[in-house]
Amino acid sequence: MNKYILTKKLKANELSTFYSFLFGLIIAFLIGSIILFLQSKNPLDVFSLMIKLSVGSLNSLSNSLNKATPLILAGLGISIINSVKLWNIGAEGQIFMGAIALNFVYINLAIGNSNVFILVLLVSGFIGGSFCILIPALAKTIFGVNEIITTLLTNYIVIGLTLYLVNGVWKDPNSLNFPAAAYVDKSVYLPIITSKLSSGFLICIFFTFIAYYLKEKSVFGYELRIAGGSELTALYAGIKSKQVAFIAMLIGGGFAGLAGAIELLSQTHRVSTGLSQGFGYTAIIVAAITGMRPIGIFLVGILFGALSIGGSVIQTIGVSSYLAEIIQASTLFGALIIQFFFTYEVKKVQDV
Amino acid sequence: MNKYILQVKNISKKFGNVQALNKVNFSLEEGIVYGLLGENGAGKSTLMNILSGIYMPDSGIIQIRDTLIKKLNPEIASNYGIGMVHQEFRLIENFTIKDNLILSKSNKFQNNFEQIYQKYSEIFALNLKSSTYISELSVGEKQKVEIIKLLFNNSSIMLLDEPTAVLTPQETQQLKLSLEILSKSEKKTIVLITHKLKEIREFTDKIYILKNGNMVAQNLTTSATKDIDLIQLMMGEINRSEIKKDNIKGRSKLEVKELSLYSNQNFEILNNISLEIKSGEILGVAGVSGNGQVELANVICGLIKNYKGSIYISNINVSKKGVKSRKKLKLSYIPENRLGVGLAPGVSVLDNSAIKEYFKARYGPHLSSKKLKTYLSSLINQFAIKAPDIKAEISTLSGGNMQKLLMGRELIANPDVIVASQPTRGLDFNAVEAIHKLLVEQRNQGSAIMLFSEDLDELFKLSDRIIVMFEGTIIKEFSLEEFSIEKLGLAMAGINE
Repeated sequence: MNKYILTKKLKANELSTFYSFLFGLIIAFLIGSIILFLQSKNPLDVFSLMIKLSVGSLNSLSNSLNKATPLILAGLGISIINSVKLWNIGAEGQIFMGAIALNFVYINLAIGNSNVFILVLLVSGFIGGSFCILIPALAKTIFGVNEIITTLLTNYIVIGLTLYLVNGVWKDPNSLNFPAAAYVDKSVYLPIITSKLSSGFLICIFFTFIAYYLKEKSVFGYELRIAGGSELTALYAGIKSKQVAFIAMLIGGGFAGLAGAIELLSQTHRVSTGLSQGFGYTAIIVAAITGMRPIGIFLVGILFGALSIGGSVIQTIGVSSYLAEIIQASTLFGALIIQFFFTYEVKKVQDV
Repeated sequence: MNKYILQVKNISKKFGNVQALNKVNFSLEEGIVYGLLGENGAGKSTLMNILSGIYMPDSGIIQIRDTLIKKLNPEIASNYGIGMVHQEFRLIENFTIKDNLILSKSNKFQNNFEQIYQKYSEIFALNLKSSTYISELSVGEKQKVEIIKLLFNNSSIMLLDEPTAVLTPQETQQLKLSLEILSKSEKKTIVLITHKLKEIREFTDKIYILKNGNMVAQNLTTSATKDIDLIQLMMGEINRSEIKKDNIKGRSKLEVKELSLYSNQNFEILNNISLEIKSGEILGVAGVSGNGQVELANVICGLIKNYKGSIYISNINVSKKGVKSRKKLKLSYIPENRLGVGLAPGVSVLDNSAIKEYFKARYGPHLSSKKLKTYLSSLINQFAIKAPDIKAEISTLSGGNMQKLLMGRELIANPDVIVASQPTRGLDFNAVEAIHKLLVEQRNQGSAIMLFSEDLDELFKLSDRIIVMFEGTIIKEFSLEEFSIEKLGLAMAGINE
């Protein structure tokens, strides 16, 4: 009798992640088209409008890139932590915590030189993100508590903390009772490069290379890979697996915290519950689609940023902005399914 | 009425090209404790799995009392009263003892549970309420529950796979008493699978011996059989292919002094081990698996800490030093567990090839991928490794190539001390020969080699001396002139004459 079994392919296809992403994107747009058909809209019209209004002019391209910045940074943080096969679901909370830490330093510290002050504020955002993941990281290292659950739970804690702050001690008396902290001063806004493009995007490019270097070219990244493969092998190799995993978690949290800081200094200019529109969750999709590769995260992050901008403008012609989110999520689904066929093959074996 | 409760005739079973059982006969009478003896891979587990309905035999007959069994699966086997306790327990941890005992369909004591539980827990000296959760039990207690589970399933034939492997000496004594009661007063037939001679002698009435899938001895009476005969039957002749042992031994390279190790439960794992290996010498370490060999290798190589005693590499005390400092003194370790310890699964061939020396390719925080690649290609050339894609996962290599990569990685720098655990296990003939050649080359270049192996042919072929480990101690040491399969077998069974 013949049996069919699934086995892993012997040769890894270097571009398989890219192809599956492409397939996923096509599937996602097909799903989007069906939804538009059902609403009696012409998908081609809607999609061309989305493209035009998200990348069609310098102005709209700037918007897309600004939108991509927090997605990319948080996605990079997730990918660094995933080097050691751990999942960070808490990027959303870390983004808020980065903004909260920034605001705390902003209130309690005054530095005359605004460039130095901006730098200090960005660093405090990074540290805020690290601080947010500190408890999950300690729980993982000391007691082995599942990090997926703890990082997810910290999101709720941080969002609760944000609500408390913006409704309480930090509430801006001039906000017409809107729950938000006071605006930061214009002198600490991140400078605009051109049109609307914030210099936050440059920071994002810089950190993409840092993440790439850390993961692919550094001793630290190597130790993370081995520790992620097998803790016993790490022990055998003389690698302190718990220590490197702990540091990776703090760095990854810091990336998301930095995303929050940049978002505050370039877009919202204040702490409010609207600071992040689910960037931390979308970043998980971005990181997972690209197989945790930094350069891929950068590119897909830009695409997803453009999709969000496109999604928000098509409301003007009566299409829900949720269309963009449907496309983003279906891309991941499609890509994961296709990735399966790149990784495994069906083989016929003789029954033994 | 048939005098046999179970008869197995001419059972054969093949896995791929391996003949696991070859026309095996096996007959059991009521109320007798049998021992089934054999080395690793002799076919003991295959036979037991056939009887408990997990494997289908390729050919042969199984007869239970007077009924010829056409088809056997776990459910039918248990209806006919065949029950097995596996080495890995099959209890549900977050259920109570009672829940686990009445779980089975064939359980017959649902109504008077407490009364029957009382009776059997007395026989087994299990002083626990039936409402206790399994997760709160010690290993020994879990095993008692496993055996009682068979009784609740009304098993008349109880197959116990290595039941004493996890027990303390006191628990072993208790088990012996309990099994005696069951066989005498309840007329249970018990089959004990083991390779410990001492227990065969203490526990059993009759003995069967398997070797390479053949039943080489049937129904021997335990009290009338000598240990030495059992060992000869179990191990047979040794093929000795010759390797010249004219190697010159130099200065001491590895020394272990009064080494002891205790588990978290204060259980003694290693007890007062001292040994010395000189440059150009191969010390073979024999012993039935689980007598402290893995732990000894791990302690010497720095993976296990918190031991007592001291370790010297090239006369430098490394007792307090970690894995990396020991490696820098040219210590290489080929661990027993290839994929999982020696190599990291899910990680690329390239990354795996660098595990020993990656810190030599570092410049500050930077890791030179060029250096790593050069290193790997020299490994591939020198050790004839077939690796189609160095960026693919390590598991894409065949077992032999994985071991060659691991050996090559550990040997290419001509280490002073090599600790090799089961380096040829599971490999085909050519790969075994290649690995033996590598070890002898290293010996001739002046390495001190500690070779842990369960393959006695291999130990006799390569070693200059052999030590035998038993229950965490070195029970006996043999010099080259004293090598004899009988004496070694006795020592492995814990008998020191």
